[in-house]
Amino acid sequence: MNLTIETRVADGVTIVSCSGRIMFGDEANALRDALKNVLSSTRHVVLDFSGVTYIDSGGLGTLVAVYSSARSGGADIKLTGLGPRLRDVLQITKLATVFEIYDNEQQAIAAFRQGGA
Amino acid sequence: MALQPITGPASSSSGSSVFPILVFVQGNEQRTINLDHTPFTVGRKVDKDLVIADPRVSRDHALITSENGQFYVLDQGSKHGTFVNGERVQRKTLEQNDRVEFGIRDVAYVVFNPQHQTSNTAREFLNQISGIHISAESTDLEKLTLFLEAARKLNTTGVLDEILVTLLDATLKLTRAERGYVFMKADDGSLRLAAGRNSKAEPLLDDKTISHSILDDALNANSEFVITDTSQSLDLAGRQSIVAYDLRTVICIPLRKPQVQTSRDAQAPVEVPSGETIGALYVDSRFASRDISGVSNDILRVIATEAASLIENARLVQAEEAARRYQQELSIAASIQQRLMAVTIPDVPFARLKGRNLSCKEIGGDFFDAVNTDEGLAVVLADVSGKGVSAALLASQLQGMIYAQLTAGMSLIEIVTAANRFFTHKHIGEKYATLIVARIRRDGELEYVNCGHVPPLLVCNHEVMRPPHGNLPVGLLSDATYESDHCSLHAGDRLILVTDGVTEAENARGDFFEDSRLEAVAAKSSTLDDIFAAVANFCGGTPLSDDCTVVELHYSG
Repeated sequence: MNLTIETRVADGVTIVSCSGRIMFGDEANALRDALKNVLSSTRHVVLDFSGVTYIDSGGLGTLVAVYSSARSGGADIKLTGLGPRLRDVLQITKLATVFEIYDNEQQAIAAFRQGGA
Repeated sequence: MALQPITGPASSSSGSSVFPILVFVQGNEQRTINLDHTPFTVGRKVDKDLVIADPRVSRDHALITSENGQFYVLDQGSKHGTFVNGERVQRKTLEQNDRVEFGIRDVAYVVFNPQHQTSNTAREFLNQISGIHISAESTDLEKLTLFLEAARKLNTTGVLDEILVTLLDATLKLTRAERGYVFMKADDGSLRLAAGRNSKAEPLLDDKTISHSILDDALNANSEFVITDTSQSLDLAGRQSIVAYDLRTVICIPLRKPQVQTSRDAQAPVEVPSGETIGALYVDSRFASRDISGVSNDILRVIATEAASLIENARLVQAEEAARRYQQELSIAASIQQRLMAVTIPDVPFARLKGRNLSCKEIGGDFFDAVNTDEGLAVVLADVSGKGVSAALLASQLQGMIYAQLTAGMSLIEIVTAANRFFTHKHIGEKYATLIVARIRRDGELEYVNCGHVPPLLVCNHEVMRPPHGNLPVGLLSDATYESDHCSLHAGDRLILVTDGVTEAENARGDFFEDSRLEAVAAKSSTLDDIFAAVANFCGGTPLSDDCTVVELHYSG
């Protein structure tokens, strides 16, 4: 597997940091499991993709599915640390309009504070 | 556990294959009932076809009926319910091996048309065996050897259940035990009953009354077999089943995977298998019955080694057959997929269309299609997320849907909205598709909808433009809305559609082909071959990791 996932808590927000490639199969499954696990105990999650070099179509599907189910369950995932390739992918698929994307972790955490959501 | 033979339904033990059978198990007793009429009534009343005298069973408890060759169990408003495989039901189709309970659980139940029957092949085989002339002087061991020799021939048909049953019958005959069971180790390591027979050659479907503690001991012991004579051992008094079911002698033979193929020559010494345990052969007899503790150790030793190799071989043959069938199904699916995906490019005076696909796997999730409609020539290019059969399945569905709607003259926005509604409504997991559907009119007016796909290349006079228009992919979000984009083409203009397999084609260094290289080659050349050649040249020897599809629409005016 080409993906490592680390989880920590900062200012009451759970930061899930990924590095590697998010591909259909093992990596996407690991991401889904990690996020589901985190979402079982918190509603505020920042997903830090600064170490992610590539996400394929299957990985993107997983990301959207977890994001949608988190939203419908009253939780929220904010994205940060997107490299140019990920920004491109989210731009092409117009998913940039769906996700909440922040330049860095502090801004994402601050957004949770302000929004309270 | 994959022990069911691939052949048709098992025939009943009475020799008739017209009617299914019911095996009624109550405590330690069981009987076989031919389901030769319907409705077949079950209840506490004495006029029922199956009378179960227990207060928890209602007077008119349930019926078994048939309709179009299917059998159903129908609860008659019983107080304590009718259960099929543990689930309370009102009406339920019965499948082979279903366990049906009426009000009382576990104590009494019916198994519908169980599988562990000798089917014709096995019966014929047994007849053959018994027909072999064995001189009266033959020892039991010689008889066993003959049986094993014959069983190997049967083995080639790869019907594991039949082998288990014949093995049990032969073992029961030789050991003179009352009951015999074969257990096979399931994937999770637990032992599952694979076949059971009594000395009257009747199937036994329940292993509750055997000594599981002895079975466990035998598996853990490092010996070829374990003989337990309860009349000799005092420490067995605490073992429940031995006491409860009056078991006298239990012989348990662990079946271990042979590490070296055992000798085919009956005269040569057989090797003791020392591999992992694949199951166990268990025989027992009760106090009331004869003593079997004196059975020859030679016989048990031969059974221990040969039975294991017999079963292992049968399993391998069965697994091979299953894999072969699966492969066959897959290649049929692949050829259907290819035929569905084959595009007949419509001949129109104002435009030329070319498309080419390179699949990284046998079947993939890319497709393109072209339909000539009253509103113009329509082109679709789609890429379903993921790979393999699941992606191909969705691709076929999506293709059919879009084709039908284009033919029906629906607007492009209506088409993608309907496809998105369909896929999100069906909850197909995390699968979705990016696609472009475009339609060009005779006058050069182009309308297209890009749903999360790589932006098309519009090539006018060697200049490449990438319109920024786009929408969400199809099948991701149920509330997605779609918009289309329009532009006017002039004679000689080209619209090039690609899937991300092209822009994300990788070389050995891990670099992508990228939009820039694609745009450069598209500007220079007007053939698809040049684009594929540029990709191949870039990748070097690195194999494609995704399908590559390129479609080119050339407007000639």
